[in-house]
Amino acid sequence: MVAVKQTVEHVESLEAYKHGFITDIDQEFAPKGLNADIVRFISAKKDEPEWMLQWRLEAFERWLAMEEPTWAKVNFPRIDYQDAYYYAAPKAKDGPMSLDEVDPELLATYAKLGIPLKEQEVLAGVQGAPKYAVDAVFDSVSVVTTFKKELAAVGVIFCSMSEAIREHPELVKKYLGSVVPTSDNYFACLNSAVFSDGSFVYVPPGVRCPMELSTYFRINAAESGQFERTLIIVDKGAYVSYLEGCTAPMRDENQLHAAVVELVALEDAEIKYSTVQNWYPGDPKTGKGGIYNFVTKRADCRGDRSKVSWTQVETGSAVTWKYPSCVLRGNDSSGEFYSIAVTNGFQQADTGTKMIHLGANTKSRIISKGISAGKSSNTYRGLVSAHPKAKGARNFTQCDSLLIGKDCAAHTVPYVEARNGQSVFEHEATTTRLSDDQLFYVMQRGLNQEEAVALLVNGFVKDVLQQLPMEFAVEAQKLVAISLEGSVG
Amino acid sequence: MSVSQAIAAGDVALLPSRRDEDWRWTDLRGLIRAMPPVSPASERRFEAGAFGDGDVLMVNGVVRGDVEALIVPAGERRTVRLRVIADTSHTAHGADLSVSVGEAGELTLLESYEGLGEGYLTETRLNLSVDAGGRLERIVLAADAADAVAVSTATVVLAKGARFEQTTLTTGARRQRLETRIAHPGEGATVRMDAGYLLDGQRHADLTTAVAHEGVGGETSQLTKGIVRDQARGVFQGRIVVEKGADKTDARMGHHALILSEKAEIDAKPELLIYADDVSCAHGNTIGALDEDALFYARQRGIPDAQARAMLAEAFVGEVVDRIANDEARDVARQWVATHLGAV
Repeated sequence: MVAVKQTVEHVESLEAYKHGFITDIDQEFAPKGLNADIVRFISAKKDEPEWMLQWRLEAFERWLAMEEPTWAKVNFPRIDYQDAYYYAAPKAKDGPMSLDEVDPELLATYAKLGIPLKEQEVLAGVQGAPKYAVDAVFDSVSVVTTFKKELAAVGVIFCSMSEAIREHPELVKKYLGSVVPTSDNYFACLNSAVFSDGSFVYVPPGVRCPMELSTYFRINAAESGQFERTLIIVDKGAYVSYLEGCTAPMRDENQLHAAVVELVALEDAEIKYSTVQNWYPGDPKTGKGGIYNFVTKRADCRGDRSKVSWTQVETGSAVTWKYPSCVLRGNDSSGEFYSIAVTNGFQQADTGTKMIHLGANTKSRIISKGISAGKSSNTYRGLVSAHPKAKGARNFTQCDSLLIGKDCAAHTVPYVEARNGQSVFEHEATTTRLSDDQLFYVMQRGLNQEEAVALLVNGFVKDVLQQLPMEFAVEAQKLVAISLEGSVG
Repeated sequence: MSVSQAIAAGDVALLPSRRDEDWRWTDLRGLIRAMPPVSPASERRFEAGAFGDGDVLMVNGVVRGDVEALIVPAGERRTVRLRVIADTSHTAHGADLSVSVGEAGELTLLESYEGLGEGYLTETRLNLSVDAGGRLERIVLAADAADAVAVSTATVVLAKGARFEQTTLTTGARRQRLETRIAHPGEGATVRMDAGYLLDGQRHADLTTAVAHEGVGGETSQLTKGIVRDQARGVFQGRIVVEKGADKTDARMGHHALILSEKAEIDAKPELLIYADDVSCAHGNTIGALDEDALFYARQRGIPDAQARAMLAEAFVGEVVDRIANDEARDVARQWVATHLGAV
């Protein structure tokens, strides 16, 4: 039993959630609670035009009339929406900031998280390393967006949502809420009323965005929620690859993250959207604390031959409830969803996708890998539907679940609706545990138990990891291994 | 919310609706505006049904004779023909029957649903139990009226080492739901549960199953196949639950359907809910049209298109029929499928 003891000690010595620190920075808050005045306060803080305020107030009215949904396979105490701050921002002087003016404490935070905010730092990396532009969102505001000039030179707009509302109102007015309508669901409606910041991307016709764009979301303030809003519009024949990452401090309380992401792909456009979600998952031993990640993400493949690919690695959050979806409206458009969801400790995840086939010859592909360990619960829930007009629609879905330990749960709940005689839908799902034989074989080759589990799990999720941009794939692979530490033995 | 409750209370508000997750594709509340009156008793003698004359008849919700329950004593072997007949139009009725198989007993239950009237509303509820080492094979042939609303719910409890086999074949109704709920509390209980649906016109059939594995080493093998055409709608909802501690469970579920027209529809939800880790569970679901390559091949061999289609369709559903263990029932089922495929 020495080996087991060593494993236990090794695991205990690990810093399980390394992003759990708190940045001590001077912040300003909106008064606690939620009412129309708070909505006005946020809008005023952002210096928004009247139409935006009206849009928010209308959403707030609708939200008041809605009921919180309960259909997901997750359990959590009722959220008191009045007991949270809806706006928290690092104190700053007026006007746009250059990087030199950003609070050094903030820069240190991002350095610690490994996010390059200084363009020269990115450049100073390994020779030949690809550049990527970052929009850093700290609680309710975007603190800095890098490489804006270089992107503007090719016509790509990459900025914070607040800035887009001020600088590009015509685009925002046209597309905001066009994919996820205000009253789409309870959390999207709440977001529409109180969203604070997020990223805005516009790629003009025929432009292949010269670098990866990314947003890094950080929740820092206690008793606050983050409600970011992301809008990406890719015009005819254009392409963009967008990555998002997120972390939060370790706190005993639960914090709500209710974001809305809208993607619009016009004719022949392509969007690749990758997420590495690593919000604080709560205490692995007691289940205390952690983020409630209730996010609405949807892509509208509006143009013919457009393509959207979602890739997600979900390792964090106490409770995850999200379904990145594709509305395949254009003829010959295609949607993809690649997902790894890892739950350990007391985490609960109910995640999957919707592929709504409306246009002719639309194609979709879903690969979902769920891994449950500890006392966690992991659900794949998905919908594939074909409209009567979606002749020649094609879907392939594969959902595999892996169970590690006696106390975890894995569920698969797919919905399939075929409404015409010319579509072909295939779905397969398996649920198994980590094979003892495989573990034995790998450990016999000299790997310890943790390493053996990590190796086998990485093999299990390989199909999805391959879809991630290189830098992210490496990070995601490590993240999966770290998330599962302590799950065996 | 159930059809029986609604019939008993005469209240349409008690009918299941789309808002009930388990009934999202079989909306009765939206279809039935007013509760029909209670069905009258029928003393009529009936011609032979799909399985010949019945041993037990349930007519318009009333079990004929002195039968209170079907009981197969321990160690004995029986074959029972159960005919559930709706000999009424535009009325409503419900009926219950218990069926139990004693230790190491065996029962072949040949069950037929026969709609002789029009536009009736009915729910048949069967409570089945199989004691340790017992075996029950249930073959269901459902031929309801095209404009009827018919629900049949079977609840099955299996003791240690019990075996339950079921094959349901149906042509649907205006709304039809054939629901089977099985609990495997005993160790090593095994289940084979198959279904086939052949729907045309505006018929609808909903095959809903829920299997709960509560004991160690249970096995479930489930295969459902369906063919729809015209504006018909096929619904399959299969749920397999493996409770905590039900280790060594082996569960497989397959649902495969063919859509042979532009306006037909298939809705499917094959669910796996797993709370134990030492299990092997899988499900597969495919929906598509007849294989063009196979049709081409058949035509190339001189087989006319219509015949080629019929052959492929028969082979497709034939897989379900082949799995029936009882020879006599298998022959009847094969003939039944051939007759109804002619229409489809």
